[in-house]
Amino acid sequence: MKVQANQVRLPRQVLAGEIWPALADRHAFRVDPDGRPFVLPGMGAVTLGVHCGDPATGYASDHLEPGASVRHRDPAANYALQFLTCIGNEVRVASGPATGAVGHVIGQHAYVLVDFPEAALEVMGPGDGVTVVAVGQGLALAEHPSIVVKNCDPGLLDRLPGGTSADGRLEVHVAARVPAEAIGAGAGMISEYANTDLMGAYAGLGDDLSLGLESLRIGDVVCLADSDHRYGRGYRPGYLTIGVISTGQCMLFGHGPGPSTLMSGPAEAFSIVDDADANLASWLHPWPSDAPLDAALEVAAEAAP
Amino acid sequence: MTRVNLVGFVEHPVLGESPYRVSRDGVSYVPVGDGGVVLGLELGDSAFRLAADHAAPGACLMHPDAAARHALAAFACIGNRAVVRTGSAAGAAGSVIGKRGEEGRVIVAFRPGDLSALRPSDEVLVQTAGQGWRPAGIPAEVAVLNIDPGMLAALPVEVSADGSTMTARVRAVLPGKLAGNGIGRPAASWDLDLQLTSDDRSASLPDVLLGDLIAVTDIDARYNMGYRRDWLTVGVVVHGASPLPGHGPGITPILTGPAGTLQTSPDPAGHVGLTAALLQLQ
Repeated sequence: MKVQANQVRLPRQVLAGEIWPALADRHAFRVDPDGRPFVLPGMGAVTLGVHCGDPATGYASDHLEPGASVRHRDPAANYALQFLTCIGNEVRVASGPATGAVGHVIGQHAYVLVDFPEAALEVMGPGDGVTVVAVGQGLALAEHPSIVVKNCDPGLLDRLPGGTSADGRLEVHVAARVPAEAIGAGAGMISEYANTDLMGAYAGLGDDLSLGLESLRIGDVVCLADSDHRYGRGYRPGYLTIGVISTGQCMLFGHGPGPSTLMSGPAEAFSIVDDADANLASWLHPWPSDAPLDAALEVAAEAAP
Repeated sequence: MTRVNLVGFVEHPVLGESPYRVSRDGVSYVPVGDGGVVLGLELGDSAFRLAADHAAPGACLMHPDAAARHALAAFACIGNRAVVRTGSAAGAAGSVIGKRGEEGRVIVAFRPGDLSALRPSDEVLVQTAGQGWRPAGIPAEVAVLNIDPGMLAALPVEVSADGSTMTARVRAVLPGKLAGNGIGRPAASWDLDLQLTSDDRSASLPDVLLGDLIAVTDIDARYNMGYRRDWLTVGVVVHGASPLPGHGPGITPILTGPAGTLQTSPDPAGHVGLTAALLQLQ
């Protein structure tokens, strides 16, 4: 993105986390929009086979978290990990058979979500340590003081298309536009933590549940209408929020694929361009997702400073 | 229908190490009135009357055990009788007027004199009844929740002569996109915040009063609350406004059904919902 920002003033901080188990309670079942019980995987631990660029919905899953789901064991350290980690931050596996493999943060969901090459994910499991180089909170755009940027690695900002346009607005490319009616669980929460579930994307369920969002992909950059995420997440007519779809299929009612927040401000400060390629897969990960682990580690070694 | 007596304790407000929250406009504030015993606020007052955060007209009850607290919130219903068992207000009777989500809080209205005699940690017996109740003669598609069996008939809700439709007289009908915190959460134990500020007052919505019935379009609250086109949810306003983004006056849902079957009759100026008089708490 061609825009003046304060990248050089941002500290980089080394954080630690571990892949966290999937969690359940003794009652197991949750309830879908029609009141039917379900038990479905997808949240926590290591979820295989879904990466940036893949469809977000259509899986037999609930709260699908692609790749590795990461927390810190200490509650206060975990909040620091969740708040300070940004989309696009580099993550390196620190223990276990995939040690040295490099992935990237694709969002937050009360876990830090990290997309790794499939070959690395195949051998990763709960308890494996990861190291996050956190950088991005505090990022500010000098020419766009009304836009608040958050959860955005400065490297991701550089790779995004668009930037300051001739009329002074910030051009942002998005793969989908989301109506305010779709905003589900996550409204009212702070915007440096977890994400905003989108309703209306229950593939295969009733037409009366659809808001036309079934074609979202993991990693899509999307634009939320009438949403103000500058100081939390709320409805505000005339404001826009830009986010990245970091979680996928949900069956729990009022939930759905969710964008983690990237930036928010008055609608007139943005120039939104529809662009099907506006997806993290276009800018992150220098290897194909089906590359073998050795190749992924080699690329990681070459990329190491 | 099953009646269960539960015990709740008058809540003490809780804060973290920092007293500040951040408003929707990015201003730090100290959240006054968020739980516990709030004096000087009654059913019928504007939801925007106090400079407070989620203030409720009465006392909030909780339970120190998290699972018991969820049960208290899930089983308590609007209109349930509540009796103080300890402290200087012992013997005073009040009525459940709603509840709040997340950890779970039950809001109980008392006569003003009784309320001011309450102290955090006082024990209150809540005579719960209502969940699982299905009144005879209402349309099959309409679900009833969170309401004491003796209370629904006292609210401005009528079933058509042929039993095919149900109509709630409400203060206003609001679009579902105003629904904030509470979406995606279980309607049996969470309230649904409406993202309204005092600046939103208009001809169709002059004010929102505590105890008002409000309808929200395209929200299905039979299980979790979420978007369903052409559906309608009616709830009682149980707490006041909040400076937090995504929050606002909250409703406890009592009716939810297809919009054609569950209908509304809005009365922006003259509506009367749940009142202290109706609860015999004046």
